[in-house]
Amino acid sequence: MVETGIPKLDDFLGGGIPKGKSLVYYSQPGVEGEIFGLQTVYGTLKKGGTCVFVVSSTMPDIIKEQFKEFGWDMNSFKNKLFFVDSYNPLIGAHSDEKYVVSNPDNIEYFNKTITDIIKELPPSTIVFGSLSTIMDLCGEKETIEAVRNWNKLAMLYNHVMVYNFTAWPYSVQTLDLIKDKLFNSVITIGGIAERVIFGQYFGILKSDWAEISKKSMLFRVLRPGGIRIFIPKILVTGPFDAGKSTFVHALSTRAISVDRLGTTIAMDHGHLDYKGFSADIFGTPGQERFDPIIKLLSGESMGVFLVVDSTNPSDFVRAKHMLDITKSYGLPYVIIANKQDLPGALKPEEIREQFHLPEDVPVVAVVAKDKKGVYEAFEVLIDRITGGI
Amino acid sequence: MSDYTTGIKELDDAIGGIRKGSNIMLIGPPMSGKEILLNHIMYYGAAKNENAIITVATRESATHILEWFQANNLSLPMSRIGIVDCVSKTMGVTTVENANIKIASSPVDLTGIGVKISQFLEEFFMKKNNQKIQLHINSLSTILMYSNIQTVFRFLHVFTGRIKAAGALGIYVIESGMHDEQAIATLKQLFDGMIEIKSENDKNLIRIIGVSPKPTPWFEYEIEGPNLKISRGN
Repeated sequence: MVETGIPKLDDFLGGGIPKGKSLVYYSQPGVEGEIFGLQTVYGTLKKGGTCVFVVSSTMPDIIKEQFKEFGWDMNSFKNKLFFVDSYNPLIGAHSDEKYVVSNPDNIEYFNKTITDIIKELPPSTIVFGSLSTIMDLCGEKETIEAVRNWNKLAMLYNHVMVYNFTAWPYSVQTLDLIKDKLFNSVITIGGIAERVIFGQYFGILKSDWAEISKKSMLFRVLRPGGIRIFIPKILVTGPFDAGKSTFVHALSTRAISVDRLGTTIAMDHGHLDYKGFSADIFGTPGQERFDPIIKLLSGESMGVFLVVDSTNPSDFVRAKHMLDITKSYGLPYVIIANKQDLPGALKPEEIREQFHLPEDVPVVAVVAKDKKGVYEAFEVLIDRITGGI
Repeated sequence: MSDYTTGIKELDDAIGGIRKGSNIMLIGPPMSGKEILLNHIMYYGAAKNENAIITVATRESATHILEWFQANNLSLPMSRIGIVDCVSKTMGVTTVENANIKIASSPVDLTGIGVKISQFLEEFFMKKNNQKIQLHINSLSTILMYSNIQTVFRFLHVFTGRIKAAGALGIYVIESGMHDEQAIATLKQLFDGMIEIKSENDKNLIRIIGVSPKPTPWFEYEIEGPNLKISRGN
């Protein structure tokens, strides 16, 4: 299996892309779909594989710069990464790359170069930076025929073929062929639009080797970093003095609080960048007069941490009430049994009993002020959020 | 009530303003002042009408464009300006992206240009809550030097649609005399109107078609420094 290098995508694909198979990143115009191909190049190289990148819409040097912008050091992979330059010949400029397509508007020249590469190289990952540009230059039918042949040939030689494709308004037949027949797997990348595009997501439309669910993930592109699964809002709530603000600060890469006399009066706001995820975290105040804020924030959250002071069972009533407010939104949640280091702290199982919680509700032991257990708790909530979409 | 205006009194009086969601072709011979006209519309829109302006620059770098305004003492409200620079990277000039400038890797990279346009649209429309947005592409002719007419048509098909959906205004520059009639006719399908410029007997003439019920008359104009001045109406 060759990993795509995209967070969560490899999990959904059953580990990655089997050798000999083809995958297309099918992207709506205007969203950052081409970065998926770039990240797959990096993912392959990181795991010791060989990679060929076919550049069509810009100079190979600019692609190399883009890798740098993401913080990916390509220098260590010099003898495992090859470029096919079909851009410089287009503008009449000289190319220093190993492979050059001298007539980029003639599919026969592409054909020769790609088939030579497929036959010459050991099993590699061949990534096309912009299949749509090739199609624009060489013609829809001609390019589709060529891709069909390349994919067949790749199967014999055990290469993985990956294509970036921008779904401009080509003919319906062309788009249907690409979505249905031409590739073993199709990942759609789209924008959430309300008059303008304001959010980006990806999902698996098709995969003939893995059991897929039609899951969609929101994503963000970080520079440096690359593609991250985006969790726009995680709520942290709980009774007064349970340690919510401490928890927000412990979990976040950076956070701010609005408090007065030692207690939160508006919201804690933190941002976390961890293991392929990019999340925004909002902590509520615990006093009852702030309950309307909890209602407001719950409505837009994707998940909730309910923080309780493990040494203070009398607060559990209040905690249950706050949980009900957020539960009514049907959100995944994790109970944080905080202050585990203090004497008299109830263990997670004991808290579960007190709350009468079913077995499948996660209760995680945490010492927020020492950052103990916070990342474990985050991973549990993420699993619930991404599993449930 | 006019949604968008050019900022040139005689033209605005003749057309009564441009409806939101319109896509307009700006066509004229080389060196006839199209750039000055576009800069004027940009300045007037941003400074006087609080429009946000997104400019796709294929002929001049973003810095060059901004320098023009500075040199002519025209203070652009930078919070409303977004330039997609398609030039600097191809010339090997290191330009860093900032709040006002996004870099596309080349005029061939329509996917990349589309991403930058979308990002500016999101910033102005959603984040800054400004729903009066203009998209200027200067010029389609440069883009057509690198990509064929069908490719550019598909790109425009998507983005003229986005302009309509957002209630914005799109202005797209074409050099007349550079493309065949068929190509222009193909593109015209996507536009609601045209700002047409021509030269005749040493006179510069401008008119607007398709925006008001009847085409405007031809206005004679002169370029005076950074200004386009109507000298005589017909």
